[in-house]
Amino acid sequence: MAEIELRGVSKRFPGTTAVNAASFTIRDGEFFILVGPSGCGKSTLLNMIVGLESVSEGEIRLDGELINDVDPKDRNMAMVFQSYAIYPHMTVRENLAFPLKLAKLPKARINERIARTAAMLELEDLLDRKPGALSGGQRQRVAMGRAMVRQPRVFLLDEPLSNLDAKLRVQMRTEIARLQRRLAITTVYVTHDQTEAMTLGHRIAVLRDGEVQQVGTPRDLYERPRNLFVAGFIGSPAMNFLPARYAGGCLELPVGRLALPPNVQERLADVAHPLLAGFRPDHLRSKAGVEGAGLGFDSRAEVVEWLGADVFVYLDVDLDGFAGTNLPEEAGAAAGDERRRSLVARLDPAAHVNEGDVVRLCLEARHVLVFDARTGENLTFAGHAAHRDQ
Amino acid sequence: MGSVAVVIYALIPVVWIVSLSLKPATDLGDRRLIPRVLSLEHYHAVFRDPQFSAALWNSAGIAGLSTVAAVLLGMLAAYAIARLEFPGRRVILAAALSIAMFPPVSIIGPLFDVWRSIGLYDTWAGLILPYMTFTLPLAIWTLSAFFREIPWELDKAARVDGATPLQAFVHVIAPLAAPGVFTAAILVFIFAWNDFLFAISLTSTNDARTVPAAIAFFTGSSRFEQPTGSIAAASVVVTVPIIVMVLAFQRRIVAGLTAGAVKG
Repeated sequence: MAEIELRGVSKRFPGTTAVNAASFTIRDGEFFILVGPSGCGKSTLLNMIVGLESVSEGEIRLDGELINDVDPKDRNMAMVFQSYAIYPHMTVRENLAFPLKLAKLPKARINERIARTAAMLELEDLLDRKPGALSGGQRQRVAMGRAMVRQPRVFLLDEPLSNLDAKLRVQMRTEIARLQRRLAITTVYVTHDQTEAMTLGHRIAVLRDGEVQQVGTPRDLYERPRNLFVAGFIGSPAMNFLPARYAGGCLELPVGRLALPPNVQERLADVAHPLLAGFRPDHLRSKAGVEGAGLGFDSRAEVVEWLGADVFVYLDVDLDGFAGTNLPEEAGAAAGDERRRSLVARLDPAAHVNEGDVVRLCLEARHVLVFDARTGENLTFAGHAAHRDQ
Repeated sequence: MGSVAVVIYALIPVVWIVSLSLKPATDLGDRRLIPRVLSLEHYHAVFRDPQFSAALWNSAGIAGLSTVAAVLLGMLAAYAIARLEFPGRRVILAAALSIAMFPPVSIIGPLFDVWRSIGLYDTWAGLILPYMTFTLPLAIWTLSAFFREIPWELDKAARVDGATPLQAFVHVIAPLAAPGVFTAAILVFIFAWNDFLFAISLTSTNDARTVPAAIAFFTGSSRFEQPTGSIAAASVVVTVPIIVMVLAFQRRIVAGLTAGAVKG
């Protein structure tokens, strides 16, 4: 049982605020992800939870108990560091035994726990080796083992996969997910990689410049991003953004007009700011596939990336009439030409699109998110504010 | 080639002293490098002299304690300097360096007076204190370079694993800094063991007189005889421990002296 509650947690360094008023609850047994670009404060937040960094303001509670000033050694949390931080002068066995010896466990119990952990992580043959003689993946497993062997209340991982090569990373990702489900220990995982975040997490907190942008399940973040930043950060390839205007129940886009559902119309009626329309590459269908309501438009395929199961088609859209709208940075405004914009569509390979072809695409209104171009707020859904305090 | 020349040039006096120490008293002036007859009479004479064995004991004790004290204090100071951001960190390092630069001879006079009035004159502590003072900067500089090389995440990992700051230092950081500790220890030990200036000025009897000072007080068996043979034998005796130590820890020292230079 371990529930971590953060209430208005801030961390200030001289001259900067690394984390600003972060509030959320990590539920018992949950795999919780802190994700964001580098420098967003996610590691600082993790270090505050484990106690390596003091809390400037706010409260961190573990099962209701205030732990702001509890020494890291007394928190019974285990951490896997980005560099693994395995003790190089100790063998794998001694590394695993270290936290148990500090906890003054009897020798027999120590050996038993080491044996069990080593079996779980397939470290048995490596127990008497020094870390210097291990490969990157093996070191990673030792670091995991040293954290697991203690049976901690909370498991903290700071970018544990970033030093592995791509193939091993995918393999370890599944491994970590499997271990976490099996041990059912509350886990906080820091990463800058949205794919890792989406695949591993029960819930995700997206951070940017020390501010928590949104907390939610991977599906929440994907389908109902609270703002432009979350929308652009989550999902690969990234969401497409086009400048837009609202007029008479319709959204005017550079590629055409799209009738909006009545509830969205209501919310947009009194917004005077310039708007941005966002839609996922998966929601741009080739017209041949789907016939129905929505906006159809033609565009030339500039680049075609064929991946087997999917085809990513990069299209060029003329922004006539919308060139004046400055796209915020989060919307991935391409440097250079202000009058053109590149879109990505994820199409069925059966469509046989070739570079240079003119493709007829269809976009349905229910898949379009409307953002305030100034504040970045998602205007499509009502009651988004409720997400904030989760 | 050049290095061989330098080594030969540097070793000739040492060889000469070894040769002298092994000659019988009558052959001392025979100008031969290889003794005609080998004799241990000077070694017997030196060890029969109670003054020399007392000096040897003083040397070992004083140098040993100075080393332990300087390295222990140096480790703690260096760890703090390497890990903590506190105001005056640079000042401490600069001050330490300036102490090391300070010519010892300039404080000998005042130190003599102070030690006499507070009762440290001719005691072990009276020598250990200045040795420690002059070698601590060296230890701090060497060790802080080593601690800086050790990834900070290791301290943090140990803390999260349940270690107090002291346990993290003792179990994780200190063992990793071992080459640096050995390097610092050897340097401190050699300084204290070889020192003549403080030893001759701050001691007067066998209570605290160390070997380099004691050798200066050697006398021949009569007023017409130079104590050349005894001095040579005593010099060989004090050199041996240093050579043994350096050879024994050679690998660690080399590792230590170069570790800071190349990222391992």
